[in-house]
Amino acid sequence: MIAALALIVGLVVGLVLRPTVPHGLEPYLPIAVVAALDALFGGIRARLDGIFDSKVFVVSFISNVVVAALIVFLGDKLGVGSQLSTAVVVVLGIRIFANAAAIRRHLFRA
Amino acid sequence: MKAARTPGERLIDLVLDPQDPAYRQAYEGRRTQGDPPRWYDRPATVLGALLIGFTIAVAYVHTHRSAPQTQKVHADLVTRVRDAQQQADDLQQRVADLGNRISSARDEALVGDSTLTRQLRAQLVAAGELAVHGPGLQVTLRDAPVPDADDGLGEAQRAGSTPIAATHQLTDRDVRSVVNELWADGAEAVAVNGIRLTPTSAIRFAGQVVLVDFEPIASPYVISAVGDEAGLATGFASSAVASRYTTQASANGIGFSFAEHKDLALPAAAPISLRYATPGGTK
Repeated sequence: MIAALALIVGLVVGLVLRPTVPHGLEPYLPIAVVAALDALFGGIRARLDGIFDSKVFVVSFISNVVVAALIVFLGDKLGVGSQLSTAVVVVLGIRIFANAAAIRRHLFRA
Repeated sequence: MKAARTPGERLIDLVLDPQDPAYRQAYEGRRTQGDPPRWYDRPATVLGALLIGFTIAVAYVHTHRSAPQTQKVHADLVTRVRDAQQQADDLQQRVADLGNRISSARDEALVGDSTLTRQLRAQLVAAGELAVHGPGLQVTLRDAPVPDADDGLGEAQRAGSTPIAATHQLTDRDVRSVVNELWADGAEAVAVNGIRLTPTSAIRFAGQVVLVDFEPIASPYVISAVGDEAGLATGFASSAVASRYTTQASANGIGFSFAEHKDLALPAAAPISLRYATPGGTK
Protein backbone atom coordinates (compact mmCIF):
# COMPACT_ATOMS: atom_id res chain seq x y z
CA MET A 1 0.00 0.00 0.00
CA ILE A 2 2.66 2.44 1.08
CA ALA A 3 4.70 1.37 -1.94
CA ALA A 4 1.82 2.22 -4.29
CA LEU A 5 1.52 5.64 -2.62
CA ALA A 6 5.26 6.21 -2.99
CA LEU A 7 5.05 5.23 -6.67
CA ILE A 8 2.33 7.80 -7.26
CA VAL A 9 4.26 10.43 -5.32
CA GLY A 10 7.32 9.68 -7.46
CA LEU A 11 5.27 10.06 -10.63
CA VAL A 12 3.81 13.35 -9.45
CA VAL A 13 7.20 14.69 -8.39
CA GLY A 14 8.62 13.83 -11.81
CA LEU A 15 5.68 15.45 -13.61
CA VAL A 16 5.80 18.59 -11.48
CA LEU A 17 9.55 19.13 -11.46
CA ARG A 18 9.91 18.29 -15.19
CA PRO A 19 13.66 17.79 -14.89
CA THR A 20 15.74 18.03 -18.04
CA VAL A 21 17.69 14.92 -18.87
CA PRO A 22 21.35 15.77 -19.50
CA HIS A 23 22.29 15.11 -23.08
CA GLY A 24 24.88 12.50 -22.13
CA LEU A 25 22.34 10.45 -20.19
CA GLU A 26 19.69 10.48 -22.91
CA PRO A 27 20.63 7.08 -24.44
CA TYR A 28 20.23 5.44 -21.02
CA LEU A 29 16.75 6.73 -20.40
CA PRO A 30 14.86 3.92 -22.21
CA ILE A 31 16.99 1.36 -20.37
CA ALA A 32 16.30 2.98 -17.03
CA VAL A 33 12.59 2.96 -17.81
CA VAL A 34 12.55 -0.71 -18.76
CA ALA A 35 14.65 -1.62 -15.72
CA ALA A 36 12.28 0.37 -13.52
CA LEU A 37 9.25 -1.43 -14.95
CA ASP A 38 11.03 -4.76 -14.52
CA ALA A 39 11.79 -4.04 -10.85
CA LEU A 40 8.22 -2.87 -10.33
CA PHE A 41 6.63 -5.99 -11.79
CA GLY A 42 9.19 -8.25 -10.11
CA GLY A 43 8.39 -6.62 -6.79
CA ILE A 44 4.64 -6.96 -7.25
CA ARG A 45 5.04 -10.59 -8.16
CA ALA A 46 7.27 -11.31 -5.15
CA ARG A 47 4.73 -9.57 -2.95
CA LEU A 48 1.96 -11.80 -4.31
CA ASP A 49 4.19 -14.85 -3.84
CA GLY A 50 4.60 -13.73 -0.27
CA ILE A 51 8.38 -13.49 -0.47
CA PHE A 52 8.79 -9.75 -0.97
CA ASP A 53 12.00 -8.33 0.40
CA SER A 54 12.65 -4.60 0.45
CA LYS A 55 16.40 -4.93 0.15
CA VAL A 56 16.16 -7.15 -2.90
CA PHE A 57 13.61 -4.75 -4.39
CA VAL A 58 15.83 -1.66 -4.15
CA VAL A 59 19.07 -3.43 -4.97
CA SER A 60 17.58 -5.22 -7.99
CA PHE A 61 16.29 -1.94 -9.41
CA ILE A 62 19.53 -0.03 -8.93
CA SER A 63 21.78 -2.86 -10.04
CA ASN A 64 19.62 -3.53 -13.09
CA VAL A 65 19.87 0.10 -14.15
CA VAL A 66 23.60 0.25 -13.49
CA VAL A 67 24.42 -3.03 -15.22
CA ALA A 68 22.22 -2.26 -18.21
CA ALA A 69 23.74 1.22 -18.48
CA LEU A 70 27.23 -0.25 -18.28
CA ILE A 71 26.49 -2.75 -21.02
CA VAL A 72 25.14 -0.03 -23.25
CA PHE A 73 28.00 2.32 -22.39
CA LEU A 74 30.48 -0.38 -23.34
CA GLY A 75 28.50 -1.07 -26.51
CA ASP A 76 28.56 2.63 -27.39
CA LYS A 77 32.33 2.63 -27.13
CA LEU A 78 32.57 -0.48 -29.31
CA GLY A 79 30.03 0.66 -31.88
CA VAL A 80 27.23 -1.74 -30.96
CA GLY A 81 25.46 0.55 -28.52
CA SER A 82 22.05 0.57 -30.15
CA GLN A 83 22.08 -3.20 -30.65
CA LEU A 84 22.99 -3.86 -27.04
CA SER A 85 20.41 -1.34 -25.95
CA THR A 86 17.86 -3.34 -27.94
CA ALA A 87 19.12 -6.55 -26.34
CA VAL A 88 18.69 -5.10 -22.85
CA VAL A 89 15.20 -3.90 -23.66
CA VAL A 90 14.27 -7.30 -25.12
CA VAL A 91 15.54 -9.28 -22.13
CA LEU A 92 13.93 -7.00 -19.58
CA GLY A 93 10.80 -6.84 -21.71
CA ILE A 94 10.49 -10.62 -21.64
CA ARG A 95 10.86 -10.54 -17.85
CA ILE A 96 8.23 -7.86 -17.54
CA PHE A 97 5.85 -9.90 -19.65
CA ALA A 98 6.43 -13.14 -17.74
CA ASN A 99 6.13 -11.36 -14.39
CA ALA A 100 2.92 -9.75 -15.55
CA ALA A 101 1.69 -13.24 -16.50
CA ALA A 102 2.57 -14.54 -13.02
CA ILE A 103 0.74 -11.59 -11.44
CA ARG A 104 -2.24 -12.37 -13.61
CA ARG A 105 -2.19 -16.00 -12.45
CA HIS A 106 -2.14 -14.82 -8.86
CA LEU A 107 -4.93 -12.32 -9.24
CA PHE A 108 -7.31 -14.19 -11.51
CA ARG A 109 -6.17 -17.77 -11.04
CA ALA A 110 -6.10 -18.04 -14.80
CA MET B 1 13.90 -24.33 -4.24
CA LYS B 2 14.46 -25.97 -7.56
CA ALA B 3 17.23 -28.49 -7.96
CA ALA B 4 20.47 -27.55 -9.66
CA ARG B 5 19.77 -26.60 -13.26
CA THR B 6 21.92 -26.68 -16.35
CA PRO B 7 22.72 -23.37 -18.02
CA GLY B 8 20.33 -24.28 -20.84
CA GLU B 9 17.49 -24.75 -18.43
CA ARG B 10 18.41 -21.49 -16.74
CA LEU B 11 18.10 -19.70 -20.08
CA ILE B 12 14.65 -21.22 -20.55
CA ASP B 13 13.83 -20.17 -17.02
CA LEU B 14 14.81 -16.62 -17.89
CA VAL B 15 12.06 -16.54 -20.48
CA LEU B 16 9.38 -18.70 -18.91
CA ASP B 17 9.89 -18.12 -15.21
CA PRO B 18 11.83 -14.92 -14.76
CA GLN B 19 11.37 -14.53 -11.05
CA ASP B 20 14.42 -12.95 -9.54
CA PRO B 21 16.03 -15.81 -7.53
CA ALA B 22 17.22 -13.21 -5.05
CA TYR B 23 13.69 -12.83 -3.66
CA ARG B 24 13.46 -16.55 -2.99
CA GLN B 25 16.93 -16.67 -1.46
CA ALA B 26 16.30 -13.70 0.79
CA TYR B 27 13.05 -15.26 1.89
CA GLU B 28 14.69 -18.58 2.70
CA GLY B 29 17.45 -16.78 4.61
CA ARG B 30 14.99 -14.79 6.68
CA ARG B 31 12.85 -17.80 7.45
CA THR B 32 15.78 -19.63 9.01
CA GLN B 33 16.40 -16.58 11.23
CA GLY B 34 12.84 -16.39 12.40
CA ASP B 35 11.87 -13.46 10.13
CA PRO B 36 12.62 -10.46 12.34
CA PRO B 37 11.25 -7.23 10.83
CA ARG B 38 14.03 -4.86 9.89
CA TRP B 39 13.98 -1.09 10.42
CA TYR B 40 14.74 -0.31 6.82
CA ASP B 41 12.00 -2.43 5.24
CA ARG B 42 9.49 0.34 4.77
CA PRO B 43 11.85 3.20 3.86
CA ALA B 44 13.62 0.99 1.33
CA THR B 45 10.36 -0.03 -0.31
CA VAL B 46 9.21 3.57 -0.39
CA LEU B 47 12.52 4.72 -1.80
CA GLY B 48 12.44 2.07 -4.53
CA ALA B 49 8.89 2.84 -5.50
CA LEU B 50 9.65 6.57 -5.51
CA LEU B 51 12.65 6.05 -7.77
CA ILE B 52 10.67 3.90 -10.17
CA GLY B 53 7.80 6.39 -10.35
CA PHE B 54 10.22 9.26 -10.82
CA THR B 55 12.10 7.48 -13.62
CA ILE B 56 8.91 6.73 -15.49
CA ALA B 57 7.67 10.30 -15.10
CA VAL B 58 11.00 11.70 -16.28
CA ALA B 59 10.93 9.49 -19.35
CA TYR B 60 7.37 10.57 -20.10
CA VAL B 61 8.18 14.23 -19.71
CA HIS B 62 11.34 13.89 -21.76
CA THR B 63 9.61 12.15 -24.65
CA HIS B 64 6.85 14.69 -24.80
CA ARG B 65 9.13 17.63 -24.53
CA SER B 66 11.33 16.82 -27.51
CA ALA B 67 8.47 17.30 -29.95
CA PRO B 68 7.87 20.96 -29.09
CA GLN B 69 11.65 21.35 -29.01
CA THR B 70 11.96 20.58 -32.72
CA GLN B 71 9.07 22.90 -33.36
CA LYS B 72 10.84 25.61 -31.43
CA VAL B 73 13.99 25.18 -33.50
CA HIS B 74 11.92 25.34 -36.66
CA ALA B 75 10.12 28.49 -35.53
CA ASP B 76 13.46 30.00 -34.59
CA LEU B 77 14.87 29.31 -38.04
CA VAL B 78 11.78 30.76 -39.69
CA THR B 79 12.16 33.94 -37.62
CA ARG B 80 15.79 34.23 -38.58
CA VAL B 81 15.01 33.81 -42.27
CA ARG B 82 12.24 36.41 -42.01
CA ASP B 83 14.61 38.80 -40.24
CA ALA B 84 17.23 38.34 -42.92
CA GLN B 85 14.63 38.93 -45.63
CA GLN B 86 13.43 42.04 -43.82
CA GLN B 87 16.99 43.28 -43.59
CA ALA B 88 17.56 42.63 -47.29
CA ASP B 89 14.36 44.52 -48.09
CA ASP B 90 15.46 47.44 -45.91
CA LEU B 91 18.83 47.56 -47.60
CA GLN B 92 17.18 47.45 -51.02
CA GLN B 93 14.96 50.32 -49.98
CA ARG B 94 18.00 52.26 -48.87
CA VAL B 95 19.71 51.58 -52.18
CA ALA B 96 16.67 52.90 -54.01
CA ASP B 97 16.55 56.02 -51.80
CA LEU B 98 20.22 56.75 -52.30
CA GLY B 99 19.82 56.14 -56.03
CA ASN B 100 17.03 58.69 -56.12
CA ARG B 101 19.17 61.21 -54.31
CA ILE B 102 22.03 60.62 -56.72
CA SER B 103 19.81 61.11 -59.74
CA SER B 104 18.22 64.27 -58.34
CA ALA B 105 21.65 65.65 -57.52
CA ARG B 106 22.78 64.75 -61.01
CA ASP B 107 19.73 66.39 -62.54
CA GLU B 108 20.53 69.55 -60.65
CA ALA B 109 24.10 69.46 -61.82
CA LEU B 110 23.09 68.90 -65.40
CA VAL B 111 20.44 71.59 -65.48
CA GLY B 112 20.53 73.41 -68.78
CA ASP B 113 22.23 70.60 -70.64
CA SER B 114 19.18 68.78 -71.94
CA THR B 115 20.98 66.66 -74.53
CA LEU B 116 23.28 65.19 -71.94
CA THR B 117 20.41 64.60 -69.52
CA ARG B 118 18.38 62.84 -72.16
CA GLN B 119 21.32 60.72 -73.20
CA LEU B 120 22.03 59.79 -69.60
CA ARG B 121 18.42 58.88 -68.92
CA ALA B 122 18.27 56.64 -71.98
CA GLN B 123 21.40 54.87 -70.84
CA LEU B 124 20.05 54.46 -67.33
CA VAL B 125 16.81 52.96 -68.62
CA ALA B 126 18.76 50.55 -70.77
CA ALA B 127 20.89 49.60 -67.77
CA GLY B 128 17.79 49.11 -65.69
CA GLU B 129 18.89 51.63 -63.12
CA LEU B 130 15.87 53.89 -63.51
CA ALA B 131 12.34 52.97 -62.58
CA VAL B 132 10.17 53.28 -65.67
CA HIS B 133 6.54 53.11 -66.56
CA GLY B 134 4.69 52.93 -69.79
CA PRO B 135 2.49 50.77 -71.96
CA GLY B 136 3.47 47.19 -72.40
CA LEU B 137 2.71 43.53 -72.22
CA GLN B 138 2.34 41.34 -69.15
CA VAL B 139 2.89 37.59 -69.51
CA THR B 140 1.90 35.24 -66.69
CA LEU B 141 3.21 31.71 -66.35
CA ARG B 142 1.77 29.55 -63.60
CA ASP B 143 2.83 26.09 -62.43
CA ALA B 144 0.35 23.31 -63.01
CA PRO B 145 -1.56 22.50 -59.83
CA VAL B 146 0.33 19.92 -57.76
CA PRO B 147 -1.43 16.55 -57.91
CA ASP B 148 -2.86 15.37 -54.60
CA ALA B 149 -0.52 13.25 -52.50
CA ASP B 150 -3.06 10.42 -52.31
CA ASP B 151 -3.78 10.01 -55.99
CA GLY B 152 -1.77 6.80 -56.20
CA LEU B 153 1.52 8.35 -57.19
CA GLY B 154 2.41 9.09 -53.59
CA GLU B 155 6.13 9.16 -52.97
CA ALA B 156 7.02 9.54 -56.61
CA GLN B 157 5.49 13.00 -56.66
CA ARG B 158 7.44 14.37 -53.74
CA ALA B 159 9.53 17.39 -54.63
CA GLY B 160 12.96 16.40 -55.82
CA SER B 161 12.19 12.72 -56.25
CA THR B 162 11.67 12.93 -59.99
CA PRO B 163 14.01 14.60 -62.44
CA ILE B 164 12.83 18.08 -63.28
CA ALA B 165 12.59 17.20 -66.97
CA ALA B 166 10.04 14.49 -66.19
CA THR B 167 7.69 16.86 -64.43
CA HIS B 168 5.86 19.79 -65.88
CA GLN B 169 7.18 22.21 -63.31
CA LEU B 170 8.19 25.51 -64.82
CA THR B 171 11.89 26.24 -64.66
CA ASP B 172 14.31 29.02 -65.45
CA ARG B 173 14.24 28.00 -69.12
CA ASP B 174 10.56 28.81 -69.39
CA VAL B 175 10.95 32.21 -67.76
CA ARG B 176 14.05 32.91 -69.81
CA SER B 177 12.50 32.03 -73.15
CA VAL B 178 9.58 34.36 -72.50
CA VAL B 179 11.95 37.14 -71.45
CA ASN B 180 14.11 36.64 -74.54
CA GLU B 181 11.07 36.64 -76.78
CA LEU B 182 9.91 39.91 -75.23
CA TRP B 183 13.32 41.53 -75.77
CA ALA B 184 13.22 40.28 -79.35
CA ASP B 185 9.76 41.79 -79.81
CA GLY B 186 11.07 45.21 -78.89
CA ALA B 187 10.68 45.52 -75.14
CA GLU B 188 12.59 48.44 -73.67
CA ALA B 189 12.53 47.28 -70.07
CA VAL B 190 11.60 43.94 -68.54
CA ALA B 191 10.88 42.86 -64.97
CA VAL B 192 10.14 39.40 -63.60
CA ASN B 193 7.95 39.29 -60.49
CA GLY B 194 8.94 42.87 -59.75
CA ILE B 195 12.67 42.33 -60.24
CA ARG B 196 14.01 44.55 -62.99
CA LEU B 197 16.32 42.87 -65.46
CA THR B 198 19.61 44.55 -66.26
CA PRO B 199 22.26 43.67 -68.83
CA THR B 200 23.98 41.50 -66.23
CA SER B 201 20.84 39.80 -64.91
CA ALA B 202 20.77 36.05 -64.76
CA ILE B 203 17.71 33.82 -64.58
CA ARG B 204 18.75 30.57 -63.00
CA PHE B 205 17.35 27.50 -61.33
CA ALA B 206 18.60 26.04 -58.09
CA GLY B 207 16.95 23.71 -55.63
CA GLN B 208 13.59 23.66 -57.42
CA VAL B 209 13.39 27.43 -57.32
CA VAL B 210 13.79 29.98 -60.06
CA LEU B 211 16.31 32.67 -59.17
CA VAL B 212 16.39 36.07 -60.78
CA ASP B 213 19.61 37.82 -59.88
CA PHE B 214 19.91 35.37 -56.95
CA GLU B 215 16.51 36.31 -55.61
CA PRO B 216 14.19 33.33 -55.40
CA ILE B 217 10.78 33.79 -57.00
CA ALA B 218 7.82 31.46 -57.12
CA SER B 219 4.95 30.67 -59.44
CA PRO B 220 3.06 32.55 -60.80
CA TYR B 221 5.83 34.18 -62.81
CA VAL B 222 4.72 37.59 -64.02
CA ILE B 223 6.93 38.99 -66.73
CA SER B 224 6.27 42.64 -67.47
CA ALA B 225 7.72 44.33 -70.51
CA VAL B 226 7.44 48.02 -71.34
CA GLY B 227 7.46 48.84 -74.99
CA ASP B 228 5.20 49.48 -77.96
CA GLU B 229 2.19 47.54 -76.72
CA ALA B 230 0.76 46.72 -80.12
CA GLY B 231 4.12 45.61 -81.48
CA LEU B 232 4.86 43.57 -78.39
CA ALA B 233 1.43 41.93 -78.41
CA THR B 234 1.47 40.95 -82.06
CA GLY B 235 5.11 39.93 -81.97
CA PHE B 236 4.66 37.82 -78.88
CA ALA B 237 1.35 36.29 -79.93
CA SER B 238 2.79 35.05 -83.20
CA SER B 239 6.03 33.77 -81.66
CA ALA B 240 7.01 30.13 -81.29
CA VAL B 241 7.36 30.66 -77.53
CA ALA B 242 3.73 31.72 -77.16
CA SER B 243 2.42 28.84 -79.22
CA ARG B 244 4.56 26.41 -77.23
CA TYR B 245 3.10 27.55 -73.92
CA THR B 246 -0.42 27.68 -75.30
CA THR B 247 0.00 24.02 -76.23
CA GLN B 248 1.49 23.19 -72.83
CA ALA B 249 -1.31 25.02 -71.07
CA SER B 250 -3.90 22.77 -72.62
CA ALA B 251 -1.78 19.60 -72.39
CA ASN B 252 -0.13 19.87 -68.95
CA GLY B 253 -2.37 22.29 -67.12
CA ILE B 254 0.15 25.09 -66.66
CA GLY B 255 -1.24 28.58 -66.55
CA PHE B 256 -0.28 30.84 -69.45
CA SER B 257 -1.76 34.17 -70.34
CA PHE B 258 -0.67 37.54 -71.66
CA ALA B 259 -2.36 40.89 -71.80
CA GLU B 260 -1.59 44.41 -72.93
CA HIS B 261 -1.41 47.10 -70.28
CA LYS B 262 -1.78 50.82 -70.71
CA ASP B 263 0.61 51.68 -67.94
CA LEU B 264 3.06 49.24 -66.42
CA ALA B 265 5.42 50.43 -63.69
CA LEU B 266 8.77 48.68 -63.44
CA PRO B 267 11.08 49.26 -60.48
CA ALA B 268 14.72 50.15 -60.77
CA ALA B 269 17.42 47.59 -60.23
CA ALA B 270 20.32 48.16 -57.92
CA PRO B 271 23.08 49.92 -59.84
CA ILE B 272 25.94 47.78 -61.02
CA SER B 273 29.25 48.99 -59.75
CA LEU B 274 31.94 48.41 -62.32
CA ARG B 275 35.17 47.35 -60.74
CA TYR B 276 37.25 46.28 -63.73
CA ALA B 277 35.59 47.75 -66.80
CA THR B 278 36.40 51.39 -67.57
CA PRO B 279 34.59 53.38 -70.22
CA GLY B 280 36.62 53.50 -73.39
CA GLY B 281 36.09 54.02 -77.09
CA THR B 282 37.80 57.35 -77.54
CA LYS B 283 41.52 57.00 -77.61
